[in-house]
Amino acid sequence: MTFADTTGLVIIGKGLMIGLGFIGPAIGLGLIGGSYLSAVGRNPEASKFFGQALIFVAIVELFGLLAFASTFIVK
Amino acid sequence: MITGLMSHFAESGPAVHIAPAGVFTVDGFTITNSILYGWITALFIIILMVWVAHRVTVKPKGGFVQIVEIGVDFITDLVENAFDNKEIGRKYVPLFVTIFFFIFLTNLLGLLPFVGEGFKSSNGNPLLRPFTGDLNGTLGLGLVTMLIVYYASIREAGGVMKYLRHFFIGSPKNPLYFLIGLLEMLTDLTRVLSLSLRLFLNIAIGEIVIAVFSYLGHIAAPITALPFTMLEILVAGLQAYIFTILSTMYLAIAVNHNEEHAAEPDLTEGGVPETMERVNAAGNVHG
Repeated sequence: MTFADTTGLVIIGKGLMIGLGFIGPAIGLGLIGGSYLSAVGRNPEASKFFGQALIFVAIVELFGLLAFASTFIVK
Repeated sequence: MITGLMSHFAESGPAVHIAPAGVFTVDGFTITNSILYGWITALFIIILMVWVAHRVTVKPKGGFVQIVEIGVDFITDLVENAFDNKEIGRKYVPLFVTIFFFIFLTNLLGLLPFVGEGFKSSNGNPLLRPFTGDLNGTLGLGLVTMLIVYYASIREAGGVMKYLRHFFIGSPKNPLYFLIGLLEMLTDLTRVLSLSLRLFLNIAIGEIVIAVFSYLGHIAAPITALPFTMLEILVAGLQAYIFTILSTMYLAIAVNHNEEHAAEPDLTEGGVPETMERVNAAGNVHG
């Protein structure tokens, strides 16, 4: 039994990974949404860029999902 | 409802599966549950699309056939507008429409109630899992798509050296431009991984979320899992659209770059065209 097994450091590691891993993508998505809304507010014809905003949402979302998936890799 | 009833009698904790499990073996080669369901969905999609193709008419008549036509028109516009030269874009439309419909329908068919914990195979594993909810499946999809994109870019560029040349913005003998070119090539190679991981993680995590919420509402599982199933329908369409448009852009970047190196028409003194038609480098006139 190693030190990590007896003190349950795995759970702390997983908690830290999930908690800190979601901060970045959440801020990123908020920035994307905010800039899309302010662009539409200035010029309502900019709502044709909604499809491209969703593309950037999916690219940023990848890093949040990678953080969630790495909890299943750590034993 | 099946999941709800089963989790009432199951042990504590939602049933979470990331890796596929073997269902039966053929000549010592294990067939997993996602391979099995991948075959079933592929067969279903082929039969469905051939049935739709026989019923397309010039005047739209409504119904399911028109919905498929809307999807095809949407992707056709997307692919043709991504390329500078529409003729090249039109060549690659069937590929991207196939990718879009395959991923969209495979994701949707993974939300059916009997997929997952519903049926169990003879050795206690779930019998069916969505094909895109398995990293092996999406890695295959990503690899095949990127191989086709590389082959098409090399063919449009006219050779491997000319294709590699477009990564370097200056002369490759300059050390700074050489390093920048190498970094661009590395970014190209990570695209396979990012495309396949994005699709796999979105679908697999959707399954996990539905499993968790079915477990939390023991008998009322159909009610608690309903909002997330609707979200998963949205995610299915969005991820198919993202995969298609990113592959289109990767191909368009490589092909448009080569078009830039073609000779620009000379618009000085006597060469200004007076009509609305444009003359491209080969001297052909196109409107």
